[in-house]
Amino acid sequence: MKSVWARLTPEQCQQLHNASLEILERTGVRLFNDEALALVRKAGAKVVEGNHVRIPACLVEQALSTVPKSVTLHDRNGRPVMPLEGNNYFFGPGSDCLNIVDHRSGKRRKPVLQDVVEAIRVCDALDEIDFVMSMFLPSDVRQEIADRYQMEIMLHNTIKPIVLVTYETSGCVDAIEMAEAVAGGANALRERPFVTCYINVTTGLLHNADALEKLLFLAEKGLPALYIPVVSGGTTGPITVAGGLALSNAGVLAGLVISQLKREGAPLVVPGFGGDALDMRTMVDPYCGPDPRGTAQALAHFYHLPMFSLGGASESKLVDQQAGIEAALDMLIAALSGGHIVHDCGYLESGLTGSLAQLAVCNEVAGWIRHACHPVEVSAETLALYLIDQVGPDGQFLKLPHTRSHMRERWYPELFDRCTYSGWLDGGGKTLGERAAEQVSRILTSHHCESLSPTVAESIRQVVLRAEAASCESPTPVTGGRYA
Amino acid sequence: MREEQFNTMGQSIVDGTPESARKAASKALELGIDPLEAIKRGFVPGLNRIGEQFNRGEVFLPDLVMAGEAMKAAVAVLEPEMQKRGTQREVLGKVVLGTVKGDIHEIGKSLVSTLLTASGFQVFDLGVNVPIELFVEKARELQADLVGVSALLTTTMQGQKSVVEALDRNGLRPRVKVIVGGAPVTRDWAEKIGADGYGQDAMAAVALAKSLVHK
Repeated sequence: MKSVWARLTPEQCQQLHNASLEILERTGVRLFNDEALALVRKAGAKVVEGNHVRIPACLVEQALSTVPKSVTLHDRNGRPVMPLEGNNYFFGPGSDCLNIVDHRSGKRRKPVLQDVVEAIRVCDALDEIDFVMSMFLPSDVRQEIADRYQMEIMLHNTIKPIVLVTYETSGCVDAIEMAEAVAGGANALRERPFVTCYINVTTGLLHNADALEKLLFLAEKGLPALYIPVVSGGTTGPITVAGGLALSNAGVLAGLVISQLKREGAPLVVPGFGGDALDMRTMVDPYCGPDPRGTAQALAHFYHLPMFSLGGASESKLVDQQAGIEAALDMLIAALSGGHIVHDCGYLESGLTGSLAQLAVCNEVAGWIRHACHPVEVSAETLALYLIDQVGPDGQFLKLPHTRSHMRERWYPELFDRCTYSGWLDGGGKTLGERAAEQVSRILTSHHCESLSPTVAESIRQVVLRAEAASCESPTPVTGGRYA
Repeated sequence: MREEQFNTMGQSIVDGTPESARKAASKALELGIDPLEAIKRGFVPGLNRIGEQFNRGEVFLPDLVMAGEAMKAAVAVLEPEMQKRGTQREVLGKVVLGTVKGDIHEIGKSLVSTLLTASGFQVFDLGVNVPIELFVEKARELQADLVGVSALLTTTMQGQKSVVEALDRNGLRPRVKVIVGGAPVTRDWAEKIGADGYGQDAMAAVALAKSLVHK
């Protein structure tokens, strides 16, 4: 797992870093949270008017010296499975799709709770999927507490690490309470975190109240947070890759300063994507445009910080050629640039729709990539000179024990077709999409996740019920929600 | 001579340069061209041309936005003269526009505002985080033909439904038509909440608005 590709040179990364520092010192950020304001003010930042803060470079450098350079995500059973460091990469889905392309019918519809259950079970079963996110926003529960249901489903249906997304801070607090119940307490979760929270920040320079509250909450808990400002080139930032990246990175560094002021050594995960732009013909926010690919990863490596990357998404509306090509190219680049947590496998329609069949295709691609990036062993055993000599020019290797003992080290597809033409026809002459949908169906009939203990299941149920009761009482309009 | 002037006016819109649009408008007044004619035969054809180019994918959205800005600039120069002559540009309709309460996303809504204005609508932009009651109040006060409600979040989309219901409750519909937009909004959603229409982008919103006021 060595990164073989860096899109930016170290000099360019230094330029971007300096640019972000200049943005923070000269332009400044707005922080919509009093505690965050008080923290930066006390540390020496200049609060210009109300919530407008100019952050000096020394605070950033100080924060960079205390933030952990590595975070390891564990599984539900407390085993370390995702060391976010060096050039590692791990694949998983995205969260909260507004639509699903049903693998049974191929039709696009609104997702329900059962779709989230199925998504997480499929993620749990697929070997190359390393972590989970909710994948779908269920339409059959109250929208403002859908995040609690998603969390409960994820905890029940997989042992893989969870990247959670919540609307408001209360959702994040509840989700962490549930995770603590599963881990066996706050200390256990801090020591062996198997969840992390993806925090969406309005823009590089506008830090919304919910984002800051979640950041401070997780910092205090000593739990890893993914702090991700959203800059859309051409609208909320420059259309150029460098300008967009400098601006979103300024926001990341502001978040970093606040997290370290709250608790020195609080783990923070930075974006491995950025420098994106809206499509200026359709105003759609593309998920896998080529222009910024690999740049944010290079910058995160420059800081030696754990990152949250993007890969496996497509702009296509269905599981077709475009979806396969976009997902594969994007995943390969995320892997080659060492993207750590690589999310959004199975996304279609630029993040508005999810597909379990597409997720299965991504799993296949991930296996291919793992083998393509795996170091090649050159040794006496693998060179096999003694066998070459023994077999000589006239013999063959088919019956040798060496062949049988090493042949399974190679990658074999589960979905990609390698049959002869007549073999393919005999198998029904199916497309990749059809085979992927069948794999999903097979998993759903055969795969079951280890269950939680009844006591733990009951305590997380109570959190959901409590949120349900509270949301029925207060009809106040919610301010958060999914950024579509 | 006149044709050449009209071409210059149209071109200033296609180029999306408010400064040249302003100049072309002043020149028209100097030459004694009727301001209404300048708009109809000079500037509007330019707007139509760039709209077609956008629909064909030849120009990008910022080109269209700047064309809208150029249109506004030209109209601003011509307006005093129109008033003097007691004429005015035909107003296609009055539109009350805003991003619904709980939502502070502005870009899409402002784009629609610019393009509607450029196309001849009179737009009252209420901004972002607009309370449901304010949509109703303004629609009544201004005798609006259309109310446009923007939402970018799945949670705030519900507010679009509330606006429709509030207008219903206050007896303003069906005279006042409601159009909805925003990234998570779909045609199905618009139908479900009883809105009169949905546009997938700013150009579609203009076409939709035109078709609704012509009914």
